[in-house]
Amino acid sequence: MSREAHPALPEFEYIKPGSLSDAAAFLAEHAGEARALSGGTDIFVRMRDGAFKDKYLVDIKGLAGTDEIVFDPKRGLVIGAAVTMNRVSAHEAVQKHYRLLAEAIDSVASYQLRNRATVVGNICNASPAGDTIGACLLYGGALLVHGVSGERREPLDGFFKGPGQTTLKAGDVVTSLFLPLPPEGFAGTYLKLNRNKRGDLAIVGVSACTYPNKDVPSGLTVKVALASVAATPLVVPEVEELFKTETLTEISSAQAAQIAMNACSPIDDVRGSARYRVMMVRNLTRQALSALEASLK
Amino acid sequence: MTVHTITVNINGEDELVEVPGHWTLLQMLRYRMGLTGTKNGCAGGECGACTVMLNGAPVNSCMVLGVECDEAEIITVEGLSQDGQLDPVQDAIIEAGGVQCGFCTPGVLISARALLDRTPNPTEAEIQDALVGNLCRCTGYVRIIEGIKQAAKLQKT
Amino acid sequence: MTKTDTTTPPSPVGESVPRLDVLEKVTGAAIYTDDIPFGPGLLYARIKRSPHPHAVIKGIDVSKAEQLPGVKVVVTGDDFPKRIGLYLVDKHIFARERVRFIGEPVAAVAAVTEDIAEKALDLIEIDYEPLEAVFDPVYGASKDAPLIHPDLGEYEVPNFIFPQPGTNIANHFKVRRGDVENAWKDCAKIVTAEFYIPHVQHVPIEPHVAVAKFDDDGTVTLWAASQSPFAQRNLIAQSLGISQSDMRVIAPFVGGGFGCKAGVTMEALPVAIASKVKGRPVKLLLTREEEFYTNFVRQALVIKLKMGCDAEGNLVALHNTMYWDGGASTEYGVNITRAGGYNSTGPYIFQNVHTDSLCVYTNHPIGGAYRGFGMSELHTGIEQCIDMLAEEIGMDKVEFRLKNCVKTDDIILTGMTMHPTGLSECIQKVAKAIDWGQKKKPSSPNKLRGKGLALMWKAPSMPPNAGSSAEVKFNEDGTITVGVGGQEIGQGTFTAMAQMVAGVMGVPYDWVRVRGPLDTRYSPYEWQTVASRLTWSMGNAVVAAASDARKQLLDVAADHWEENPDDLDIKSGKIISYVSEREMSVKEVGVYGLPNENFEGWKGGPIVGRGNFMPTYVTNLDFETGQGERAVVHYTTGAQAFEIEIDKETGKIEVINAASAFDIGKAINPELVKAQIEGGIVQGLSSAILEQMILKDGAMQNPSFVDYRIASAVDIPFNHHIDIVEVPQDDGPWGARGIGEHPMVPSAAALANAIYDATGLRLEGPPFSSEKIYLAMLDAGMVE
Repeated sequence: MSREAHPALPEFEYIKPGSLSDAAAFLAEHAGEARALSGGTDIFVRMRDGAFKDKYLVDIKGLAGTDEIVFDPKRGLVIGAAVTMNRVSAHEAVQKHYRLLAEAIDSVASYQLRNRATVVGNICNASPAGDTIGACLLYGGALLVHGVSGERREPLDGFFKGPGQTTLKAGDVVTSLFLPLPPEGFAGTYLKLNRNKRGDLAIVGVSACTYPNKDVPSGLTVKVALASVAATPLVVPEVEELFKTETLTEISSAQAAQIAMNACSPIDDVRGSARYRVMMVRNLTRQALSALEASLK
Repeated sequence: MTVHTITVNINGEDELVEVPGHWTLLQMLRYRMGLTGTKNGCAGGECGACTVMLNGAPVNSCMVLGVECDEAEIITVEGLSQDGQLDPVQDAIIEAGGVQCGFCTPGVLISARALLDRTPNPTEAEIQDALVGNLCRCTGYVRIIEGIKQAAKLQKT
Repeated sequence: MTKTDTTTPPSPVGESVPRLDVLEKVTGAAIYTDDIPFGPGLLYARIKRSPHPHAVIKGIDVSKAEQLPGVKVVVTGDDFPKRIGLYLVDKHIFARERVRFIGEPVAAVAAVTEDIAEKALDLIEIDYEPLEAVFDPVYGASKDAPLIHPDLGEYEVPNFIFPQPGTNIANHFKVRRGDVENAWKDCAKIVTAEFYIPHVQHVPIEPHVAVAKFDDDGTVTLWAASQSPFAQRNLIAQSLGISQSDMRVIAPFVGGGFGCKAGVTMEALPVAIASKVKGRPVKLLLTREEEFYTNFVRQALVIKLKMGCDAEGNLVALHNTMYWDGGASTEYGVNITRAGGYNSTGPYIFQNVHTDSLCVYTNHPIGGAYRGFGMSELHTGIEQCIDMLAEEIGMDKVEFRLKNCVKTDDIILTGMTMHPTGLSECIQKVAKAIDWGQKKKPSSPNKLRGKGLALMWKAPSMPPNAGSSAEVKFNEDGTITVGVGGQEIGQGTFTAMAQMVAGVMGVPYDWVRVRGPLDTRYSPYEWQTVASRLTWSMGNAVVAAASDARKQLLDVAADHWEENPDDLDIKSGKIISYVSEREMSVKEVGVYGLPNENFEGWKGGPIVGRGNFMPTYVTNLDFETGQGERAVVHYTTGAQAFEIEIDKETGKIEVINAASAFDIGKAINPELVKAQIEGGIVQGLSSAILEQMILKDGAMQNPSFVDYRIASAVDIPFNHHIDIVEVPQDDGPWGARGIGEHPMVPSAAALANAIYDATGLRLEGPPFSSEKIYLAMLDAGMVE
């Protein structure tokens, strides 16, 4: 946070478009000075801080489906861009089929903040520390984007380009997040190291999941995604590779933890040093995989 | 600077409010409506002193624009008591001694009310979780947590 | 001293009556400074601050800012030539000639909106020439360091502060007792240690806010979130050349103080600005970020200790050198250094003491009072050394402390005789509550478990003649209004004062009103709401005022009944005669007096009791030796202990059990006392585990709640056993001493000792973050 933060939000114009196309057109027309607004919990902080200097905030809440969360037992879950984290976490289908996402959501800041913050916002904000991103990556999620030239899908794999940097372009409005139905037997966990016990930004976050997979020799797929230890949220493909042949044991978990540790490239910041973070990636990955191993029994 | 005219129900009263587009709900309540019970502790969504109920759910009013509240229902600390009768969370926090300087108290009470609305019999851990976003520097939280436990009992009787 | 009666029932003194101020606080009706409406004439001030830790101001151009529509005035240091300061007068309201820390006010704008004021700040052009800066107090105290205050020799200073002109040492407090150098040979064991206690912030939930207005008749009003309306009036008036009686400070409820709203931090700024726009109220509300990096901070401390004991475990000698990181101004900090000096043994008796307590100017934020100033820092060093020495000599740490701790009639380091104290009892109670001596197994193989204990002492640190006054008046409805000048900052002082008045006057507690806002125009004088001194000092004044009012009531009644006042008493609000058994309510007498028989004239009149208190016995200490008859008024003592677990995988601490015991003389309201202890220990643990102002080249890197974490409701799930010990203070009301600050003083030390017990590691200093502990375990080969 900046020492020179403003006392309140600096002046801007609040725009409430009538349709997604209007929103996209306005955002494209005012590229660089307009921003789509959903929950606002990141935007307001950054505007007060002086990091964002937009002239216009374009409120997309209520536009075509952005307020909806829909579960299709055959295809998966669609989370509208304006659906708050608490709504997602409390949703019956999420509690049943997407526990890992609920766990990650519940670790974010505070209950009252999660009543405004959205999962899509957390993703688009593209903070390396974004708590829910790891889960969405492990589920194989994709964003539905309404751009000036129509709708398209942006898989999360490849979406993140750097801190705050994504593949989104001017005029793009992310309308929803799609999470495919998790494979049968999917189990996941999110381990987050805070300075406080909870409610803090992650020093290190480890999302891990496993599910039975007949297509690999081990019969089990295991994946790990890391938060706060690289320029972008990080999936470690070498871990998945390892478990194609290895089953989940104490030894393979330790091996995977070592791999995760080698894969990350954290920096020193006010929350923790790179040296500590690297060690914590190893220890938390090992713990997460042990927890998954235990859950399989 | 565009000033928006919105209708909003605040503490049970319908109000017509003129609010600049960049004003937060916190600013609107304090400086337009004179509802100064809602406090400004950080303006960054972290301390919870500005917590109010928006359509039944607690939010940081510094993280909501006033104009976003068109047609919404707001309850502030001033709206917790009904006809001079304190809400059980108010009675219980007094009884437990959970008030010192009082600056976090309005936000704490709203978070407590919202918790008991969704979870009438919260565990200690659920109370603590519901208070993560309400910083208090005086009490060490002990008596606030105790007060909310008592409020849950009070409202059953 | 007034004799007070604790035996007469139903006195509320000693009872946990409900607070006076809760109803307004739970309904949102309680008014804090930012809640006061000032109408459309209100101007908003914003401050242009120094981006340099140390630089010469070559020039300031405000012309563009002045031309921005909506800007009413722009001010700079040129407008306000006189210095300001509580003890050492070394600070300008706005920097003149040079800036000394990042965040120092250099100029200000008042405008019709905050947005315009903000924009105008960007139009102020300032030309700086950076100077070499000092960020380390040990280097700062050396001859090599550049001078931060070359004019130190010219500053006004009271006679108990000892600046060293030509250096960066703003106060050098010495204790020389016995012969330390020769005493080492008498020691069977000697330990040495050095610790660093970093800067932390107070973090009240209400940020600083002040509003000022100059009226055409020459009066100046300041509304402020203030622990010190009188001190602020006095200092600001002096600096701006205003008569104190022309200045009025109105202080509504305060949303947390902990020392940061004492003295003058930012309150002079809006007054100075308002002096240039007469007739318009000017408001300055600090952002949370400014609250973090421009407000008074708790000074960092480098403490170097050498401590020895004889073969029987008797403490023999202490060599203690403290370098306090005073920051850019030490106007308040010089007295923190002094307090660090005259308490520098901690609550222990050494025959040989050599202390140098040095207040060093640096280019860091300005040090001020923070809950028990100097004491948490000092004890974090002393109490770890005591632990180390006990281990060296092979004694149990509790036994070692019981043997060496200060006891009644001991001669302490300054030569003062210790008053009756229950410290030993506190130690025993805490040791029992924490099951001292019984080592429990960790809850899992991944955890380490340990216990740690620390003692504390602290005296009110204040000028020798800090005074209190009070008045007691009747209302037409028979209730009693108590006027005080001490502030309700959450600790419950208004409630305690009402209890005392009810206790003295024999009226029900709910007849007594103590209410804000404080107003220097009407409230009786009080030095400051600091130093845990109100229960004792203001309490004494209140007791005197209530006794005076009581006497007036009885005199009128005795006259009326033609009896001797000595035969009368007041019970449950009724004046009674033990001789004639007549009675009447005090309500009949309070305002209107009593009619003579047949209405032939009247007796009495509106009752107004008055009282004051000032300690008259505090003596100055010798500059060379720190010796004197009575350095302080009294000591509140206590002990605290923790049982903790440390996660070997992350380094995270979990406090499982805690115990506190403090000798406070007398608990006027036991539940309020416990509430202070509960809040204090959490604040202490928060600072010990989570908190540090991360300063890089003088710039705070974490000036927000996102990055400066304090304990939240999830961080405190431990059992905390509290004991209140009551060995009465001879000059306290009902024997009471203060307790506001003390509970956080031993926390960091006790936690450090518990960490050692669990891990065998001693860290350089707090915060004992999971990272610090984990990496220490890693470096020690305890984890891979």
